[in-house]
Amino acid sequence: MCFKNLPIEFDAQGNAQLVGGVANPYAYTPREIKRDKLEELLARNGHIKDVSISPVTRVAGALSFHAVADLEKRKFLEANSVATIFRGYEVILKGRDPRDAIYISSRACGVCGGVHSTAACEAIEMAFGISPPPLGTVLRNIALSLDFLYDHPLHLFLLAGPDYSQVVVQATSPAMWEKAQVTDAPNAEIHQFKTIGDIMKGLNPLSGKLYLDGLKMTRTPREAYSVLFGKYPHPQTVVPGGMSSTVTITDFNETYTRLQKMIDWTKRMILLWDDLTEFFYDYNPEYKKVGARDMNMIDLGMWDDENSYDATYARCNDWGEARWATPGVVIDGKLVTTKLQQINLGLEEFVEHSYYENWSQNGVRFKTDPSGAPLSPNHPWNKETMPKPSKESWKDRYTWSTAPRWDRQVVEAGAYARIWTTAAAGKMPKNRFLESTGHSLKINMPKTMLPEMDFEWKIPEVWNAFERNRARAYCMGYNLMVAYSMVLKAFDYLRKGEDKVSTKFETPKGERIGVGFWGAGRGYLSHHLTLDKGVITNYQIVTPSTFNASPHDPFGNPGPYEEAVMNTPIIEDYSKPEEFTGVDMLRAIRSFDPCMPCTTHIYGGEREIVREVNTCACSAEG
Amino acid sequence: MVLVSGIGYSNLGDMSFGRVLLSTLVEMDWPAHVHVEDLNFGPIMIYQTLEASPVKYDKVVLVAAAKRERQPGTLEVYRWNGILPEDAEIQARIEEAITGVIDLDNLLIVCKHFGVLPDDVTIVEVEPQTEEWGLEFSPVVAAKVNEAINAVRDQALAM
Repeated sequence: MCFKNLPIEFDAQGNAQLVGGVANPYAYTPREIKRDKLEELLARNGHIKDVSISPVTRVAGALSFHAVADLEKRKFLEANSVATIFRGYEVILKGRDPRDAIYISSRACGVCGGVHSTAACEAIEMAFGISPPPLGTVLRNIALSLDFLYDHPLHLFLLAGPDYSQVVVQATSPAMWEKAQVTDAPNAEIHQFKTIGDIMKGLNPLSGKLYLDGLKMTRTPREAYSVLFGKYPHPQTVVPGGMSSTVTITDFNETYTRLQKMIDWTKRMILLWDDLTEFFYDYNPEYKKVGARDMNMIDLGMWDDENSYDATYARCNDWGEARWATPGVVIDGKLVTTKLQQINLGLEEFVEHSYYENWSQNGVRFKTDPSGAPLSPNHPWNKETMPKPSKESWKDRYTWSTAPRWDRQVVEAGAYARIWTTAAAGKMPKNRFLESTGHSLKINMPKTMLPEMDFEWKIPEVWNAFERNRARAYCMGYNLMVAYSMVLKAFDYLRKGEDKVSTKFETPKGERIGVGFWGAGRGYLSHHLTLDKGVITNYQIVTPSTFNASPHDPFGNPGPYEEAVMNTPIIEDYSKPEEFTGVDMLRAIRSFDPCMPCTTHIYGGEREIVREVNTCACSAEG
Repeated sequence: MVLVSGIGYSNLGDMSFGRVLLSTLVEMDWPAHVHVEDLNFGPIMIYQTLEASPVKYDKVVLVAAAKRERQPGTLEVYRWNGILPEDAEIQARIEEAITGVIDLDNLLIVCKHFGVLPDDVTIVEVEPQTEEWGLEFSPVVAAKVNEAINAVRDQALAM
């Protein structure tokens, strides 16, 4: 039994039904946010400060964050995550040909458009009743691993990395910088940075070797992606039923060559993040609390097994569990389900603290999913996007992000959730390079200039900002070996003459329903779709940052960024409030790899340049 | 060798000036030493492409709309001074660029910082009146289209 809050139970055959005798099973009474005491404290005490960071820099797109910090007790008393813009993709898509969703939803993100295209395609495939031929699925898997080989270095070295650089550490913790310079890096022989101080120097923005190499390394997977998908980041070649690329042995050879180029760099990078993490823990165990929160996470899995995926909802549990990344929900560190249907049934979105109207007055369109299992009125297939801009209020509404919850519990999404659910499930298809053990993921990386090496990401005992970054570094190895394995599969299919990559289809005219269960570089991604008369009647996108950047829910629980900041101790050095930089809070937030809707305000010289820009909008509500 | 391009998002009214003009520029007859290219990608990709390119350009001519608090419809042709902002601002521009922002200032700063721009960079720039979604220019900007194309051509051929 995976649900503890939703009134859903399962019979002996595993069929879901509502618990009997409950009059209004999905009803709830929203809990009020009370700030009276906090406002009094703020008024009375000089050491209790309102901290507003707008925008939070070094994240994709624009995120604002508000917190109340007690600088004497070195803790946070309140935290609010704010997505600052509505972009309306879900509204734009209504009434359109479903195939438009592939290209329009891609524009939600300037980093990972292809993941939205693919999620849209899988939703359409379910609604149309079609699926790709094997090589079409393999091709998607390659491209959507390459995407993350761009995404993860970008985050680790350009966005989060500077938080651990010499310039930041020296300014916020001079004693730690002194210690770092004389602490040998345990894996120096492989990554070639003799001391932890050298690693920190390497992470210096603009000038550090790791920063510059990370920037350079983003080019290689992008080149391979363009070879297979035609262009990056908004491919035109992802189509329902497969891919429209014409692929040859040369394309896969070019991809293979580029993957080879990444292998040694990835080996070094994993060990480097291991060394950095352990140094912080050794220096001050309080760092284990930075960004800490309950071990609650969600992932839909991805990288389909080409012989299992048939796009049907009826078999989604089977093809989901056959994926190279296993779907799953982790609650209190325990994997409670790996079944896509159960993950789907547990999903709800709430808008009590967001700039949206509730859609309940329009009735409940789907009381059950296609297999007859009960669906909440707050489920994406029933939700409607109804923007309602209003004044920012920490007690009432303060963000354009909704509050998605699973079984009414706060779960976070990320690459780390993907590796966690995969490691814990022990269901990864048997292959040469990757093995899921039930408590870890073993990664074998072949010899190139460096020798063949084995890595093992173990489910951590603590969960915090450092473990998110460490897991993301291991995900580089994971993604790389998925891509590598898929290229080898592609060679096999071509050798057998099975070069078909797409399936013909016609747009159905009746009412249809579908969902794309997929993943972005930052984790969980779902596109829920309903069609009628050949056009979209409702489209709902839930992204990793919709989960992570979410506001308080109606049950009084803060969203993951908010909770992570509330649990973060203020460790940085300061002798007076003006010296407070908030670096510990920023490390907590950035460790999630935020991906926000995009209005950027930059102060340039004497004028403020206000620019609406179109970058990553992975938490954009629609 | 001369590189010519128009910079901007599509379907963004006056702000799409460079992008729209690029479609005309690319259809024009140019001598062999002038290359017209689409540079409407995140500027990190532009810098990496220019860095890897066997062709080294002596001059770059870019057309775009930019909000500089001038009278809407003002068309300016100027040689970019190439002065970079402070490191923190460069870093901010790199962060925007790597996450996909297409923008003239980002392109100039990022590419200059990484040493892939020649000294001779000429900008043909219009002050937008509107920044709304749409395919049409405002009348004051639409009136400058031919003048801007002529300015780009003159600058590109002026070597």
